[in-house]
Amino acid sequence: MDLQYSDSDRDFRQKARTWLAANVPTTRRPANGHTSAQYDRDWQRKLYEHGWAGVAWPKEFGGLGLTGLQQVLWYEEMARARAPHYINTTYVALMHAGPTLIMRGTEAQKAFHLPKILSGDALWCQGFSEPNAGSDLASLKARGTIDGDDIVVSGAKMWTTDAQHADYQELLVRTDPDSQRHKGLTWIICDMKSPGIDIKPIRTMLNDEHINMVFYDDVRIPKSNVVGEINGGWASALATLSLERGLGFIGDQLELYERVGRATDMAGKLRLEDGTLAIDDSSIRQKLAALKADALAIRAMTLADIAETDRTGQPGPKGSMMKLLVTSAHKALSELVGDMMGWDFLEFDGDRTSHPWTYDYLWSWVFSISGGTNEIQRENIADRVLHLPRAR
Amino acid sequence: MYLAPDGDELGIAQAAAEFLAEAMSIERLHRAACADMSADLRHALGGMGWFALALPEDAGGSGLSAVEHALFFREVGRQCGPVDVLAQCLAATIVEDVTLRSAIANGDAGVALAVEDGTRLRIFGSENAAFMLQLGRDRSDLYPLENTASEPRASLDPATSIRLLDRVPTAVASDTGDCAWRLGQLGTAAMLVGIAEASLDQIVDYAKVRETFGKKIGSWQAVRHPCADMAVRLEAARAQLWFAATAMKEGRGDAGVHLDAAKYLANQAALANADTNIQLHGGIGVTDEHHAHLYLKHALVLARLFGGRREVLGRLLHAEVED
Repeated sequence: MDLQYSDSDRDFRQKARTWLAANVPTTRRPANGHTSAQYDRDWQRKLYEHGWAGVAWPKEFGGLGLTGLQQVLWYEEMARARAPHYINTTYVALMHAGPTLIMRGTEAQKAFHLPKILSGDALWCQGFSEPNAGSDLASLKARGTIDGDDIVVSGAKMWTTDAQHADYQELLVRTDPDSQRHKGLTWIICDMKSPGIDIKPIRTMLNDEHINMVFYDDVRIPKSNVVGEINGGWASALATLSLERGLGFIGDQLELYERVGRATDMAGKLRLEDGTLAIDDSSIRQKLAALKADALAIRAMTLADIAETDRTGQPGPKGSMMKLLVTSAHKALSELVGDMMGWDFLEFDGDRTSHPWTYDYLWSWVFSISGGTNEIQRENIADRVLHLPRAR
Repeated sequence: MYLAPDGDELGIAQAAAEFLAEAMSIERLHRAACADMSADLRHALGGMGWFALALPEDAGGSGLSAVEHALFFREVGRQCGPVDVLAQCLAATIVEDVTLRSAIANGDAGVALAVEDGTRLRIFGSENAAFMLQLGRDRSDLYPLENTASEPRASLDPATSIRLLDRVPTAVASDTGDCAWRLGQLGTAAMLVGIAEASLDQIVDYAKVRETFGKKIGSWQAVRHPCADMAVRLEAARAQLWFAATAMKEGRGDAGVHLDAAKYLANQAALANADTNIQLHGGIGVTDEHHAHLYLKHALVLARLFGGRREVLGRLLHAEVED
């Protein structure tokens, strides 16, 4: 075991820290609407122009070709600099769609899409879940009928984050109508401007409309947009999901330590309803310190996983453990801050930038449900880590 | 950067696991007079050099690091090994006298662990120990126990006997500095991680064979999900343990902070996993013949040593870590 950073790692951290300190936007991200998507595109464009886009992408596809460890350093420095949060309208493109195309896309798909993703020109959304296929994704029913050179899509997708801002979608449909479960699915690139697509926003408990239902009425998509094989989409979907459950939340893992520090600073200034400083309350002190220990462990686990992946080239089965830990700690921190803030915590108008702690508290349910609910993560752990008898 | 046992470390962990399963199996705790180290066990461990693992080579030890120390004590924990194994190792690091150090390292002279309890000392370890070691964050003292009257007390934990001592004798060896204390905290955290692991292993094995309603209990989500939570707790505690051990080995300035975090997480993981292991076993889990209660009772002792919950959390709140 060793905790040594190489000279090039330290060098990278220093460069990232210096650049971020000088370039992180000073204006706040608008809470909602197209101006928020534009803000994300502009930040991505700036990263691209200064050579910081695609930290997780190989060099041959325009990325930085960083080691896993250097990606950790990047996200730590992003958290330290309070850079725009990486989970924004560019997230699906950079963290899922691009890497899936790199792994399974055709040369033409890669040449067309990857540069647009890196530069912030193309935003993507995910079309996997359906009204009756969420945790049980393999039961999905959206139909893709092969018609000459096209696949004609009919059906509905659910929980599609940022569909209203996206240029493209990673879309999973059933192309073999007689198929069951994981067989007969196809992963296709859907142009969101295609005729026949109707987007209906779903208002959430966060008082916003980031997620949507998307309806497809005979939407024609060229077969050349298939990623992987026709009827072989499950393998591509698993590649996408493994990204989501592997390093997909790396930024949250590493920023938790910073956020606990901010909450501790806040506790040093906030007065509780009885007039005592929050930091002088023994229960608050203990909870903050316990969350700090959790944050350190999450960082240690992140480094352990990354080092293992850098060595073997394969992500381990621990992504589900990480998601459970980080979502639970996130929620506990939000609850603690909410408790400290008293009435002020309740003055929420739906703006994530002016009321970040209340927003994050409400978001903790999105976090523990999206990308595989915590219950599904426990099932994954029971199956893949503990090898318990199958429940289903 | 690598944070899992690797290379020679794997060999040492494997050797420790095999030796301890033979010499100090948890099965011993179902027999009479099972607490602490017997003189025979002490000699067996000493003879194999386990007490001198982290002792420098020029002091007659193996010259290995905090990492190997943690790997060894994780295996000790899996067998609910007595705390005087740790006292013996730590005493060897603070004694300068060559004869005494070698008597401790080879197991000829037994060492119990002493902890301040009000005006008295609480002693954990064998009655036939010649010495007791008291450790603080800035000083360690080794006291003679022979001809010292102590009052035996009842002990919840079958692996550990407890005595009380009113009058503190004169130290035969002392050390200022926190190295022994840190090795103690690391070793205790490692034992707790071992208990958290063994508890998880036990319920997972049982869930694969025990049936209710015509199915293996490991296929019911009421069992699967708490097992998954045990695995997550363990993973967090173990990752932080390796981080702390490596930080200590490399002399990082923030090693103490990482040790405190490792101890807190190990306390929580061992207690919660031992608890869940009993519960998920059902009725058999509360029987004396089962190991499940042994893990819980031993964890309750270890969780109070080298930093209980309130103490470590108090230090962690404003502690700073390095990049």
